[in-house]
Amino acid sequence: MASVLAIEAKGLFKSFDGKPAVRGIDIAVPEGSIYGILGPNGAGKTTTLRMLLGIIEPDKGKRALLGHERPLEAARIVGYLPEERGLYPAMTTREAIAFMGALRGLPLEVGRRRAEILLRENGLADYVHKPIKSLSKGMAQTIQLFGTIVHKPKLVVLDEPFSGLDAINQGRLEHLIREEAAAGTTIIFSTHVISHAERLCERIAIIAAGRIRFEGLVAEARDRLRPQVRLRTRQAEGSWRGALPADAQTVDGFWEFELPKGGIEPLLEALIAGGAGIEELSIERPGLHDAFVAIAGEAAAREMEENARAEIGVAA
Amino acid sequence: MMSVFDAAWVIARRDFVATVWSRSFILFLMAPLLLFAFILFAGTMAEEAEREASRPVVALVADTDTVARLNGARDQLAAATSQQSLPMFRTVAPAENLAVQAGHLLADQEQGYSAVFTGTLDRPVLTGPARVDGFVGSRMRLIVDQARQAAALEAAGVELPAVSIRRIVTEQAAGNLQMLRRQLAGIGQGLIFGVTLMLATLLLSNLVEEKSNKVIEVLSAAVPLDSVFLGKLIAMLGVSAVGLTLWGGMIGVSYLFWQVLEDWMALPDVSPAVGWAPFAVLMLLYYCANFMLLGALFLGIGGQASNIREIQTVSMPVTLLQVGVFLLAMTVIGREEGAVVWFAYLFPFSSPMAMVAYAAKYETLWPHLAALAWQAAWVFVIVRASARLFRRTVLKSSTEGVFFSLAWLRRKRAG
Repeated sequence: MASVLAIEAKGLFKSFDGKPAVRGIDIAVPEGSIYGILGPNGAGKTTTLRMLLGIIEPDKGKRALLGHERPLEAARIVGYLPEERGLYPAMTTREAIAFMGALRGLPLEVGRRRAEILLRENGLADYVHKPIKSLSKGMAQTIQLFGTIVHKPKLVVLDEPFSGLDAINQGRLEHLIREEAAAGTTIIFSTHVISHAERLCERIAIIAAGRIRFEGLVAEARDRLRPQVRLRTRQAEGSWRGALPADAQTVDGFWEFELPKGGIEPLLEALIAGGAGIEELSIERPGLHDAFVAIAGEAAAREMEENARAEIGVAA
Repeated sequence: MMSVFDAAWVIARRDFVATVWSRSFILFLMAPLLLFAFILFAGTMAEEAEREASRPVVALVADTDTVARLNGARDQLAAATSQQSLPMFRTVAPAENLAVQAGHLLADQEQGYSAVFTGTLDRPVLTGPARVDGFVGSRMRLIVDQARQAAALEAAGVELPAVSIRRIVTEQAAGNLQMLRRQLAGIGQGLIFGVTLMLATLLLSNLVEEKSNKVIEVLSAAVPLDSVFLGKLIAMLGVSAVGLTLWGGMIGVSYLFWQVLEDWMALPDVSPAVGWAPFAVLMLLYYCANFMLLGALFLGIGGQASNIREIQTVSMPVTLLQVGVFLLAMTVIGREEGAVVWFAYLFPFSSPMAMVAYAAKYETLWPHLAALAWQAAWVFVIVRASARLFRRTVLKSSTEGVFFSLAWLRRKRAG
């Protein structure tokens, strides 16, 4: 873990019209990492990011962005892609990217040159002079992403960046995030699609109902759950049944239970000796989804899955 | 972080280019021409209608000599004043019963007589409703007196020779100078009011675009909101400068080549108290101040609206506010002292127009420096207040930092 923090927030609290939206959030994002904030809709992800960026002030708590307690002071070295994408429809793609760079202190001419390079490198050279209003939603989103990184920021904040993108554009975005991170940029993004976080992030924060339920490495989240054992036997009954752990239960003809603390070998020996007739046995390491269910709860996980499915439907 | 002014420049440049390169800007540039054409057309029509409707017609029912003398007297008076200042005459042959005939004539919808003259010059009778006593009655007395004097002189065989008045021409008369400078003050105020009225209200809807297409989120994450407001003001001031240059150029060209507008353009034959060059500079500065003050207020009000319908709802009160401020500033033209005059000078929104009148009337220059500083301070206050209100109500955020802070001007670099 890097020793310097790109983002450090302690006890962030925010309420709207007397209703708490974020209730004391602590976040520590190491420089150069890819950090994911996971949570269902309404969990407080966007409010947290907006507080980190200084778009809204927290009611309580402190935050520092690349060492600056007033986030706008770091604006030149931060890029932000909001959840609700915002571009001027009449602007050309090149001008839109250059304008977003200019807002972060990048000279307009330099921004235009870099915009052309970004568009060309991503196979969009034909779109340099196309107005935003003529682009598809996914394409406009890509342009805004280019605008977010055109000034070569040290920290990029992406709010639901995969939302509304089709599978191809999602893949392109994942590639771009990895590229930026490889160049040393710190990336923090919010998502309600666990698979993106699982593929990209080293560290995550799981938020539900305005509170942090977990903050740490993805591996640490997974390690909260013991690996699952799935077992199918030829014999339905026998003395081997006594060797199964107490939490074992049958699901679709399989015995399912957590890997015993003593490991699999003693169990295997007991099953063989008891004449269970092992037909199939697998040890499955829990995914981030399982960890999320365990941490945030079944309802939050189900809501996230439904949202993700609905979005895939919209993008398709 | 960029300074507020650097960031405002980025916003201003974007807004200026977006406005000037839009198709609707051509319509905007044509607006004064359309307005001018409308005023010309409406004015001509109204004048014609008024000419026809407002000049009462009097039926002359009298003997030939009386009618001839009345017409002669009317012509003499009309030559000295104007046709419009006297009633028109139409001769009607007398009937047997004059009272009955007068009744019929006054009831005649087609002819539309206001009154009927009967009798002679020594025993004149004017029949008509009471309301004709004012204009028609007084003018008829004047015409009859004139006719009687002419008749008396003719009877006495006296002919009065025409006397010419000897003129001694002076440089200026104090009363006249004051009057002309007041006219100048009025013209200056009218110009500033007219142009600001046309442009500043555009700022009402200026933030709706950013709010509707969510760009405001990008802006507020990158630059201070004060600079968003200030940038938009500067952009619209730039747009107005383009308009003014174009319209001014067109008027100038018309004036130079056609001389058609010479009469309309004729300024009073007197210079403003501060002199023409300082007056022109002050006009420009006060126009900018007026635009920035009202524009900042309208931008702040418009920022609170969430859609065009709400903007339309507030447009009328905002226009009335502008008219009210204009009327307040106009009090300075006719008055020298008093609480209202001081209020007009000090009230931020009337101050620029009131100070234009001051420049036309008084030579002293230092109050203008004080006034411009005062107005600039209020632009700062309104922009800051508008941005903080926007942050609080639209972005649903508490506001950070103190209201007055030199950090506004500070430039910090990170990274």
